[in-house]
Amino acid sequence: MGESLKGAVDMHMLMEPIFAGWIGYILADLGSGVYHWGIDNYGDGSTPFFGSQIEAFQGHHKWPWTITRRQFSNNLHALARAITFSVLPINLLCHDPVVQSFVGVFAGCIMFSQQFHAWAHGTKSRLPPAVVALQEAGVLVSRSQHSAHHRPPYNNNYCIVSGLWNEFLDKNKVFEAMEMVLYFKLGVRPRSWSEPESEWMEEIDMAS
Amino acid sequence: MASLTVLIHSPPTLLHTATTKSPYDRTPSILRYAPSSSQFCGLKLSHSSSSSLRSANYCYSVKGSIFAKVNKGSKAPSFTLKDQDGNSVSLDKFKGKPVVVYFYPADESPSCTKEACAFRDSYEKFKKAGAEVVGISSDDPSSHKAFAKKHRLPFTLLSDEGNKVRKDWGIPNDLFGTLPGRQTYVIDKNGVVQLIYNNQFQPEKHIDETLKLLQTL
Repeated sequence: MGESLKGAVDMHMLMEPIFAGWIGYILADLGSGVYHWGIDNYGDGSTPFFGSQIEAFQGHHKWPWTITRRQFSNNLHALARAITFSVLPINLLCHDPVVQSFVGVFAGCIMFSQQFHAWAHGTKSRLPPAVVALQEAGVLVSRSQHSAHHRPPYNNNYCIVSGLWNEFLDKNKVFEAMEMVLYFKLGVRPRSWSEPESEWMEEIDMAS
Repeated sequence: MASLTVLIHSPPTLLHTATTKSPYDRTPSILRYAPSSSQFCGLKLSHSSSSSLRSANYCYSVKGSIFAKVNKGSKAPSFTLKDQDGNSVSLDKFKGKPVVVYFYPADESPSCTKEACAFRDSYEKFKKAGAEVVGISSDDPSSHKAFAKKHRLPFTLLSDEGNKVRKDWGIPNDLFGTLPGRQTYVIDKNGVVQLIYNNQFQPEKHIDETLKLLQTL
């Protein structure tokens, strides 16, 4: 982002990198939704490369509140590793401020998406006022929107950066269409088509 | 006089030959498809007094004309398929009363479940109209049995394994041939098709449209 800013100043352009950054923010939300949908519905712990994440997401559905107890770096480190390996080459090879702005904002939002997700599980009283304000302004995914994802049939509100794509994607049944295509092309049923197994169902501690 | 009321005018999508070897082997070989947008909104061939062709540019533009092997006004071709209990059931069995034959993609998919449950919930209205309801997909009888049991479906589900009847009736596919179309026929007591309604992602509308038509029969 710093290099983008410097490049923008040197090239006397401002609006283009800002616009590119905004597009990065918009598409990061979409990307988070598609990735989340894939991880939630397909594969399992034995899936190569993604197995541990799939298990982690299943565990999250079972114990959603535990994400609020994780430290900041715990939420970010896995994504930060992926972002480092993908963004660093781009940064070394490309010096266009527009591209760098897009990549910087897109990657930054993806990296922080798990923290945004964690905040979406928080309670209003325990969240920083600034975070609550951003959630209510629609800049970050809201608590109410994300809580809908944790209720049956667990097949909506997949986006976790700003959540602005959720209404469009759910209203137009985009994920349902993708699930149908994958089913008829590959014969693979998504988890959301079946009754929630125990891995999906939230465990609620009942006080004895 | 019957007319073609186009809510959404879909391009002609020609059926592929899908040879389903197992419930999970659903890779169709796409022969041809019209290179236009897929159809998500309703397409209805209805019984109307107007003879003019009306088209509404609701979601997608109007292109081409509709090819169908079974049209409104034609006699529904007979078939014999196995139901959820493994019994052979022929369409001729329902002669003498109206029958709603709805083709759907797959048991337990979200929209198919919504559609089946909507038919279930309105079943009394169909009975009151003297009509029978029959659902058809390429799932096998055991899948239909489980689907019907789970959702307490009171009507017959038939297995069109290999999609033979679907092809014979000329039901168009959606999304560039990747999805079996969701199309419902209302056949009158004489075996003549009075309504064809197509809508992939608004399954509840199939019930509304068919009931509306049945009131007039």
